[in-house]
Amino acid sequence: MIQVKELKYTYPRKKQQTLRGLDFEIGAGEVFGFLGPSGAGKSTIQNILVGKLQNYEGAVHVFGQEMKKAGVDYYERIGVSFEFPNFYGRFTALENLNHFRSLYRNRDAEPMALLESVGMSQAAHTKVEQFSKGMKMRLNYCRAVLNDPEILFLDEPTSGLDPVNTAMLKRLILQRKEAGTTVLITTHNMQAAEELCDRVAFIVDGEIKRIDTPHNLKLRGGERKVRVEYEGDQGRSSEDFALDGIGDDARFLELLRYRQIITMHTLEASMDQIFIDVTGRSLV
Amino acid sequence: MRMWRMFLFDIRFQWKHGFYLIYSLICIVYFGILYFVHEDYVEKSLILLTFSDPSALGLLFAGGIILLERGQGVMGSLFATPVRIREYVLAKCLSLSCLSVLAAYAIHLPIGGWPVSPVHFTIGVALTSSFFTLIGIWTAVQCRSINSFILLTQLYVLPFVLPLAGYLDWMHSPFMALLPTHGTLILLDGAIRVVGWQETIYAILSLVLWIGGFGWLTNRAVLGTVRKLDGGKSHE
Repeated sequence: MIQVKELKYTYPRKKQQTLRGLDFEIGAGEVFGFLGPSGAGKSTIQNILVGKLQNYEGAVHVFGQEMKKAGVDYYERIGVSFEFPNFYGRFTALENLNHFRSLYRNRDAEPMALLESVGMSQAAHTKVEQFSKGMKMRLNYCRAVLNDPEILFLDEPTSGLDPVNTAMLKRLILQRKEAGTTVLITTHNMQAAEELCDRVAFIVDGEIKRIDTPHNLKLRGGERKVRVEYEGDQGRSSEDFALDGIGDDARFLELLRYRQIITMHTLEASMDQIFIDVTGRSLV
Repeated sequence: MRMWRMFLFDIRFQWKHGFYLIYSLICIVYFGILYFVHEDYVEKSLILLTFSDPSALGLLFAGGIILLERGQGVMGSLFATPVRIREYVLAKCLSLSCLSVLAAYAIHLPIGGWPVSPVHFTIGVALTSSFFTLIGIWTAVQCRSINSFILLTQLYVLPFVLPLAGYLDWMHSPFMALLPTHGTLILLDGAIRVVGWQETIYAILSLVLWIGGFGWLTNRAVLGTVRKLDGGKSHE
């Protein structure tokens, strides 16, 4: 679906390259995440893939076509949700969606049904200027899927959403994936990336530092150990045990048999920890 | 047809942002002023007023719309849809032309009555409005603030006001005949006299050619600043 080779990009009037030779491929129906600190080049990649930036070096093929040659019909096949959910403030949610839908050839989507799917049917006739950030973000998602896109670009889709709406949006994204949509997510939200993405790429200073499934990254970044927290004689204690040969570890078996176990976790790395390790920066 | 749907949306946008209300108030003010003009000067005053305001309202209003759309941040999302720049620009030209024609008649009818040639008058207002709308969009997409927009538009529009000097017999120069607004004045004159077909063709052709030129410039400007974020220019 998307093939990128040796992608380099320098913004006009800037000397330093923002992207410095990226290679990756994204398959049809895959949910792919771009992770990394602010200014790493994530949005630049998205802007190249949605055709906003064309003065790049290297090769970028989407639907088998070089992006430099993509015309406006390309937008019939993709949906874009930008980080900042901007709308016509004096128009209602429904009026905004109706207008944006009217710009596509495929106008099968029912804006009211989309609003309902994000729990906003009550706000359909409210002016967008009265919406909270969370409501605008949900409306932003609705706008991005109006044309039932083959590729969906989501920039920080969970930004400003409460946990309930975050969970709802994740469910909707996974439904899209099941329906065969390719989804590209740019995010700082490691939990969302882990739950949604088949693969993620960590972008740091315009380069891909790591690219793999969240599961593999966590295994590789962690220790092959299990940490057991138990009720000891002096109160709660914890001990770590190597996973290799754990079935023969007498101390481990003793704890299981004779102590009250509070928690027991393998010590694979968390996505947050991988982010910090890879980028050298902490999550905000 | 997408252009038609955008045109209708633009009309609603202008309505919701009070453009029609503002212009109704302006028309009332003009009506009041013209009421006190001596009847020997009413006809010329009407032509001059129609030239300088309803016809040219596209200039400021188009700029206002662009700056509003940019301020609301909708440009990015709008140009991530299949909308073509020419559709976007044309919808703005047509919607503002409608407002111009309505305003021109609102000022003209109560004072001057029905134009001698409504066709010339209407075409003159509509084409001139489109021309100034294009200048407004062209300038606005390159400006970041309302102040720089107002400053630049005054500068760009200055040469196009020169034919007024000829119309008022203050000064004549063959150079003025090259300007589209010379054609505007001929067509607006259709409100008070019968305009010959040769003059009509010349006036329409002049305006259409200038509209074509500025349409091309506007298309490039929107492409380079809104649709493509790197301006289609080399960054090396």
